[in-house]
Amino acid sequence: MSDLLFFVEVSLAGLGSGALLSLTALAFVLIYKATRVINLAVGEILMMGGYFFLAFAAGWGLSPWLAIPAAIAGGALIGAVVERGIIRRMLGESPISVFMVTVGLGSVLVGIVELVWGTDPRTLPDFMGTAPVFIGEAYVSRKIAISFAVAGLVIAVFLALFRFWRGGVALRATATDQAAAYSCGINVPGVFSLAWTIGCGTAAGAGVLLGSIGGIAPTMGAFGLSALVVVIVGGLDSVAGALVAGLAIGLVEAWTGTYLGGEYKLVFTFGILILMLMIRPYGLFGTKEIERL
Amino acid sequence: MLGMTKRTFLALAASSALVAAAPAFAQDDGEIVMGGSLPLTGVFGFAGVAIEAGIQDYLKILNEDGGIAGRKVRLAYEDTGYQVDQSVAVFNKLTSQNRNIHLYYGDSTAFSRTINPELQRRGDILMAGASFATEINDPQNFASQFIAGPDYTEMFSILLEYIAREKPGAKLVFVNSDTEFGRDPIESSTARAKELGLEVVEQIITPPGAVDVSTEVLKLRRARPDYAIFHGYILAPLPEFMTQAKQLGLETKFMGTFWSMDSSIWDSVGEVADGFMGVMPYRYYYDEEEAPMLKRIREMRPTYQTTGYMQGFLTAMLMGEAARRTLDAGKELTSQNMKAALNSIEDFDTGGIVGVPISIPGNTVPVGRIYQYDAAAKQMKPVSDWISLKE
Amino acid sequence: MRIATANETYLADEALIRTRTQWAWTAVLAAGLAAAPFALNNYWLYLACLVAINVASATGLNILTGYTGLVSLGQGAFMAVGAYTVAWLDRNVGAPFLVNLFAGGLMAAAVGILVGLPSLRVKGLYLAIATIGASIILQFVFLNWTSVTGGSRGMNVAPASLFGTPLTTYFQLYFVLVPIAALMVLGAANLFRTRIGRAFIAIRDRDISAEVLGIPLLRYKLLSFAVSSFYAGVAGGMWAYFFRAVGPESFTIVESIFYLAAVIVGGMGSILGGIIGATFMTLVPEVLRFGVEAISPYVDNAGTLLSPVRTVVFGALIILFLVFEPQGLAEIVQRVRRFFHLWPFRK
Repeated sequence: MSDLLFFVEVSLAGLGSGALLSLTALAFVLIYKATRVINLAVGEILMMGGYFFLAFAAGWGLSPWLAIPAAIAGGALIGAVVERGIIRRMLGESPISVFMVTVGLGSVLVGIVELVWGTDPRTLPDFMGTAPVFIGEAYVSRKIAISFAVAGLVIAVFLALFRFWRGGVALRATATDQAAAYSCGINVPGVFSLAWTIGCGTAAGAGVLLGSIGGIAPTMGAFGLSALVVVIVGGLDSVAGALVAGLAIGLVEAWTGTYLGGEYKLVFTFGILILMLMIRPYGLFGTKEIERL
Repeated sequence: MLGMTKRTFLALAASSALVAAAPAFAQDDGEIVMGGSLPLTGVFGFAGVAIEAGIQDYLKILNEDGGIAGRKVRLAYEDTGYQVDQSVAVFNKLTSQNRNIHLYYGDSTAFSRTINPELQRRGDILMAGASFATEINDPQNFASQFIAGPDYTEMFSILLEYIAREKPGAKLVFVNSDTEFGRDPIESSTARAKELGLEVVEQIITPPGAVDVSTEVLKLRRARPDYAIFHGYILAPLPEFMTQAKQLGLETKFMGTFWSMDSSIWDSVGEVADGFMGVMPYRYYYDEEEAPMLKRIREMRPTYQTTGYMQGFLTAMLMGEAARRTLDAGKELTSQNMKAALNSIEDFDTGGIVGVPISIPGNTVPVGRIYQYDAAAKQMKPVSDWISLKE
Repeated sequence: MRIATANETYLADEALIRTRTQWAWTAVLAAGLAAAPFALNNYWLYLACLVAINVASATGLNILTGYTGLVSLGQGAFMAVGAYTVAWLDRNVGAPFLVNLFAGGLMAAAVGILVGLPSLRVKGLYLAIATIGASIILQFVFLNWTSVTGGSRGMNVAPASLFGTPLTTYFQLYFVLVPIAALMVLGAANLFRTRIGRAFIAIRDRDISAEVLGIPLLRYKLLSFAVSSFYAGVAGGMWAYFFRAVGPESFTIVESIFYLAAVIVGGMGSILGGIIGATFMTLVPEVLRFGVEAISPYVDNAGTLLSPVRTVVFGALIILFLVFEPQGLAEIVQRVRRFFHLWPFRK
């Protein structure tokens, strides 16, 4: 097998896992855009998505095609409840406090999963089939290919929604200027709820995809940290940034993993993070905020 | 000034209450206590619960048969969540509450290492645990500890000997997680493979908690090994490796070490798991070969018991035997005496928990056997004889 | 604010201990701390030592986060730097342990300055994330710089020795760790009576204003990182002598979250808060342990509940305090103190 083909295959695999990162990063972006909250519990919501799917598909015996929307709805419900119950009370508090609240929330969710489902890793029922996919001569893992397609589709849908749907425009308006949005008659608290609901639903969906590739465990929330790097690099409030940075980080991880060794993956990712923070803290596509006295 | 004296008095009262709060525990002198920092939850939870059951069952059998020199043995344990600081906390709590702790079960390599100086200082405890780390197989530095099985390097040696016998000159790939657990046997085993005329063509290290292993599979495919030996994992990401390897039409045989060898964790994986092989130091619950202890276990527990159960069971058995030999020789239950008694175990019949009579020349029991998963039967089937590593 | 205290100088107004009552309480506390090891069993001594270490580290983080307003999720990594330094010096140089501890602190401070560099460009959440990145990179160094750190196995540490006696029991360690921690807390309390401490507070309240007032942000932010990491390093060194083994998995991001949580629950920007928070967060899991023990006769497999319940409680405490008592336990203590101070003259 030629080195070039190998390189192409590795890159394709990297793009595939990058798409999953993008999808998870999208959850961060949606919530940040509307509410200026970095929700570190996204990783744990993602984990909840995986467990919901397990409960619906394996526990209740629903068909995967019903269980997936149900799992997404479950994640969305958590998002809505958390926003209404906790985050809204924190309006006006320092961003750090809210950030720490989401850290605490992550811990609570992990504990709940451990109480309900135990700590053993689980395997999700397969719904993607196993026939291999080849693009030309290059092999792509089927699950990764499907994830890539799904992530691409979802991001495209979101980009369209932001452009054409009233709710999407309201969200963008809120992101630009809350007070102005209020005075235009936009229901800003409603937008907050909407962003959390959709964001957490997206995360839960990503969790189903991720779980069907590598199985689920209470520790899988750590994936959220890699996605956090993606949003910082791409820009906290940019959907396109999440997509581009996700694919880029996926590629970098695949290359370093292949040519240097798996132990270098994380250190490279976070090296990029720190470099980015030093050079362009607001990210590739993010909005630069100017601080005034 | 009155206010001040009142406050001073209150303060004094408070501080004396603090001093009086130390609890005291009375203990029955007859019994011997086995302490346990057990990982009932956390990443190792599946094993911890089974280990506890295994230890309890053996102790029940032991106590029904009269205990050790007439003294009953009791397990006092608490959950650690597989966290070292918690394991140490539990150790301190249990040793403070129970006066006769002479045996101890620890949950991790890090705990074994951390508590080692304290064990040496106390000098009255013999410890074993869930760790098979090569590091512990050092009778000099880990004088109060042992491993109820082969250490990870020895497990690799058993696998390598099997491979050398089945397919001389085979090409190997080692796949390890980037953890202490995963990295443990790599260096020593690469050298051992060379001695046996096997070629390690690639070493793949996966970051801890890695989910997507597509690039690693591509690496594996490029190396095209005859055998891929996985270590440092329990289950994930093995199934994904095997699924993709199958999709790619790789002929590679997948192997693992003890903690990946439980058949119940492979049941949920299904068809893909078929043919997975690995080294196992104990028999399986459902093994049909003659084994009086297994029969007794099946009478006590009518359903399948995992490999962790067997590990706990044998650990308790060996500890009990060491304590028995010490007491029978009229000696005190010190670490040194119990360890010497443990090392005096030669060609010992475990009642079939291990398929051959075992000896403990140092800190380990260097025997094992290769089993292979049969997805249709949902069982691990032996594919080799028991392999004993002789010096 | 206490009543019936008339101070005539600023010095008196800033004194840590102002009244005779406070002196009496302090004396009682000191006596209690000195007497405690004779009454406690090994388990509680172990916890007492652990509390001392955590108080030292949380106080350090409080300087950075509570007083300077720079949020760090790297405290665990700084502790690891201190612990590794101590372990390395212990093995290769063999200096007295107090020297090693100090060196551990200095090394951590140096690394802290390095990690603090992004604070020039970013603050708030971004800085918190940068410190996460830094701790992951440090973790990588610990794991892969095998010749110095012992790689994945880590290093063992010989017992600290004082006047030729090796400190191996918790009883012995208590008399070393608790005074060191007390000294560090005292140092932190005094820091905020100085120019530097006040500069930190000014930066926290509004860094741009502080700069306008003539406080060089760069110098003071890095100084805050250095002091805080020094505390972490010394605490990590104590940790190394306490557990006698250091490995790459000893200090993870979870530890860093723990210390930040301790500061939040205790009360940000309050020395008392750091102490109470660290004590509280260390002891709550142990209290839960006894709780689980108490219900175990009635509930099957109660032992397996402990760890998940702890995880939930840990998270819930962070949330509840941030939502309902953002000033933390220190505020509650103040309230109780005020009540007794005014009692019975106030309804």
